[in-house]
Amino acid sequence: MRKLAEWQLALPLALAFISIFLAPLLLLVGVSFFNDDKISQPGFGQWIKFFGDPFSYKVIADTMLLGVKTVAATILVGYPLALVYLDASPRVQRVLIFIIVLPLLLSVVVRTFAWIVVLGREGVINQLLMSLGIISEPLKLLQTELGLVISLTQIEMPLMLLPLISVMSRLDPNLRDASAALGASRWRTLFTVIVPLSMPGLVAGCLLVFASSTTAFISQTVIGGVRLIYLPLLIWQQSLVVFNWPFAAVISISLLVSVLTVVSALSWFGRKSGGYVHG
Amino acid sequence: MFSRRNLLVGATALGGASLLPAIAHAKGSVAAAIYPGTWEEAFRATVAPALKKKDNIDVEFQPLFAVDQVAKAKAARGAPPFDAFVLDPGPRITAIEGGLFDKFDSKKFSNLSKMPAGLVDEWGVGVNAQVVGIAYNPKKVPAPKGWKDLFTDPWVSRLGLTGFQTTFGTVSLIEIAKVFGGSETNVEPALVELKKVLPKVAAVGQPAAMPGLFQQGQCDVIYTNTQTVATLKGRGVDIEFVKPETGAITFLTTLHIAKGATDVENAYKYIDIVASKEVQEALTKPPYNFIPVNKDVPLPDYLPMKNLDEMSTYIRHDWAKINPLRAGWIEKFNKEMAK
Repeated sequence: MRKLAEWQLALPLALAFISIFLAPLLLLVGVSFFNDDKISQPGFGQWIKFFGDPFSYKVIADTMLLGVKTVAATILVGYPLALVYLDASPRVQRVLIFIIVLPLLLSVVVRTFAWIVVLGREGVINQLLMSLGIISEPLKLLQTELGLVISLTQIEMPLMLLPLISVMSRLDPNLRDASAALGASRWRTLFTVIVPLSMPGLVAGCLLVFASSTTAFISQTVIGGVRLIYLPLLIWQQSLVVFNWPFAAVISISLLVSVLTVVSALSWFGRKSGGYVHG
Repeated sequence: MFSRRNLLVGATALGGASLLPAIAHAKGSVAAAIYPGTWEEAFRATVAPALKKKDNIDVEFQPLFAVDQVAKAKAARGAPPFDAFVLDPGPRITAIEGGLFDKFDSKKFSNLSKMPAGLVDEWGVGVNAQVVGIAYNPKKVPAPKGWKDLFTDPWVSRLGLTGFQTTFGTVSLIEIAKVFGGSETNVEPALVELKKVLPKVAAVGQPAAMPGLFQQGQCDVIYTNTQTVATLKGRGVDIEFVKPETGAITFLTTLHIAKGATDVENAYKYIDIVASKEVQEALTKPPYNFIPVNKDVPLPDYLPMKNLDEMSTYIRHDWAKINPLRAGWIEKFNKEMAK
């Protein structure tokens, strides 16, 4: 009886989930199997069109690669910051958390346009480098993949750091002391104790950053420009400019499946490495 | 006393209520779709108070781009979320073809005699004209004469491009194509020329990002409308408008009554007030910088024409021909421009 009641309590959320998430998702799959934009002739035409075009594979690969690069950059910058956080005093930790969460508190439009100001031809970086005499011609940063990855790294950083920090702050400090007492160098302690134990947080961060950066339509199009073509741009064009919803549905499902594939691979890796640590 | 069951029922009811569509509009109101940004700001400041004063109608604006309005109205299948559309020519044709409008009865439109010919038809009213041409930064580059200049130095390396996603982008690329031997239905020559100069071009961006990119000096030549130029100028940006030697482009932004609208009569009153001298005059002033459509309103002096009738000599396009081709152009543009 008690179990039944608890199950019932989850019902409102479950119903909401089914009606606002699962049903539209099924609808999306259904719509993709229509040949025409009036959604009247069933068929595989849109699937054949998308997967018969080599350009589609390039866009899928570019989108996934953008996710991988952003994840790599957030780890590279975020992990040391998490280590600093771990060793900081509670007061400094509060300041750090505020700085880390800051990007989440700003509207995506503000963040994105701020990056235009930073990366632009007459932007902060170029003016600084030119006034220091390091470069004579402005660097092209805006509308390049490098610029996009730099900005996404800042924009997605909280998604990497928050799970990482929450896992790392639960690490038993004695383990590090034990490692040091047993003669391990700081680097060895990092790679054999801290990194493996923080793996669940790292993997969770990677999942979030990957899923978020591969679908970051506004940042991708405004900072990256439209010569860097990723799946969200194609979906937007097909659904809201051309009104070919079946084709947009095919691209959306392709994005969903590609992201889910990488995400499941990551979480499989997370489970495996977790097993290695504890097993 | 609260039992678990009661709580559950209450929670479900609360959750359910939030899923219901918005309650029908109150009396004396009208729901109008409006473009986000300048349009929304301008209409809230001018149209809303004028309509309240004259007809005691509250207008609820829903900020939506043209394509989003058509998408929403299509998805709503006969129960549109607003009573009046505001659309550019391309989406207007899509909406007519999709049967999303009520026929417009010009007898209910008191400003009919104040409008230049061709602005009122069976589907709605043109309430704003856009004039598209080339904008440049006079401190960085000399004034280009026409579309061809954009493909040569010094302009090409400072050029900011957009694709076929917007009305102004599409018509500009069509005019570029024409200069290189193309036509309204053949933009291939424009893409061929663009491809040749692509490595030199300063920016290829989303239409909405272009004013920002210009302001930041990322590019110094763009194709755009007079309104964007006037607005940027108002913010102190060095920018001038050029009417290309082959002619400026013009198109209308039109208001329409949604089929199945809740407040049809109020929607007519809303459209009427938008076209009125009072509102059109206010919209023409900075920071809004609209091009008026009411003959009683004097034209601002930064515009390339002296009066509204002169605009009949400007280039117009047939969107019934363009719409079916546009999907192909967008795909082609993606592939040709992709890095």
